[in-house]
Amino acid sequence: MTVIILIAAPEGLRGHLTRWMVEASAGVFVGNPSRRIRDRLWELLATRIGDGQAILIEPAANEQGWAVRTAGRERWQPVDFDGLILSARPKTQPNENSHRPR
Amino acid sequence: MPDIWWKADPRDLHRLVDRVSSVYVERSHLDRDENAIVIINKRQSVRVPASMVAVMLLGPGTRVTHGAIRLLADSGTTVCWVGEQGVRMYAAGLGPSRGAGLLHQQAWLVTRPKERLAVARSMYAMRFPGEDVSGLTMQQLRGREGTRVRKIYRAHAARTGVPWNGRDYKPGDAFAAGDDLNRLLSAANAALYGICHAVIIGLGASPGLGFVHTGKATSFVLDIADLYKAEYTIPLAAQGLTEERDARLGLRDLIARHKLLGRIVTDVKALLTPEGTDSEDHEANLLWDEHLGTVPGGTNYAAHADLSPHGMTDNHIAVIGPDPDEPDPTP
Repeated sequence: MTVIILIAAPEGLRGHLTRWMVEASAGVFVGNPSRRIRDRLWELLATRIGDGQAILIEPAANEQGWAVRTAGRERWQPVDFDGLILSARPKTQPNENSHRPR
Repeated sequence: MPDIWWKADPRDLHRLVDRVSSVYVERSHLDRDENAIVIINKRQSVRVPASMVAVMLLGPGTRVTHGAIRLLADSGTTVCWVGEQGVRMYAAGLGPSRGAGLLHQQAWLVTRPKERLAVARSMYAMRFPGEDVSGLTMQQLRGREGTRVRKIYRAHAARTGVPWNGRDYKPGDAFAAGDDLNRLLSAANAALYGICHAVIIGLGASPGLGFVHTGKATSFVLDIADLYKAEYTIPLAAQGLTEERDARLGLRDLIARHKLLGRIVTDVKALLTPEGTDSEDHEANLLWDEHLGTVPGGTNYAAHADLSPHGMTDNHIAVIGPDPDEPDPTP
């Protein structure tokens, strides 16, 4: 299974992706595209995402069982810790999940 | 010239085997919205991942826009306009197969007696699981098939207690026989033909090039439908129904429950691409040549290009609506 997440995508890109995958929630796409089609869709997304963000999570033959690709601006970077993929957040961004101390 | 980046390349499209067999739509609008294909009705709007669907079956009460069809064609999705519940196909658009691979394969098989016999045999073999039919002639196969069908009729009539006086079928007048069972069987079979027809078109094969049947524009449809009658339409007709509509609805429920569409796709492909021949569907613009095989198309092969405009102005009648920005003519 492949999951693609689009944030602040330019007009028409999300609609285009619905021809290949099901948009389960706004900007979250789920489907089973083949490796070839994943690569081609990603190529298109990466070139057209502009100031938005694109994240693709796909099955992979590693210990974790999945891999991640990212494109766009101000994105979190996947970091490889000896085969374990973790996400590195940019330092400048406040963590949007935390509450500000009162 | 707008940038049409959303156009799909053949390499972007899923092979038919990887697709969901069909999506049936009725009483809805099909439109294009931000490069998505949308089904809209009073209740909801749904975006269709058309590249994952083999056939879109459009039932009564559908309205389709040019934009939607353009995207569907681009996704390699067949569009079939069908009657109630997938019965009888009226028309079909371009299939998901952009190449003519399967069609060539079918034509090749059907025009060679040895190969044709092999395909016809495997069609019969599907109906006699576990029996070896490889040594039988067409005549013997026909006889055996007749015996099998008669047994099935009798067994179902005995099971349900519906009187059975033999299948009475007059070509061209399916409902002539008169008794309920014959009439309902004809109705259910008509529905089955429509569904098989849609799948065959969707795969890019020809409905006319049959292996067992021959001479009709739908010979291959009859061939394929015959594979499923014993399991689907005969038991259904023997249930003692009285209305043709019930037979059609019953068949549709059976088809949904047993996922028949997927099976038809698999069977047609298996019959037309015997073991070891992988027909990856390539779209290619080629011209045939008797010595070279093929030469690239889209090229002018004339020594002196003759660019006369004749033929560019074929007479045809066009009906074009007013420009949307035009003011209404005052009456």
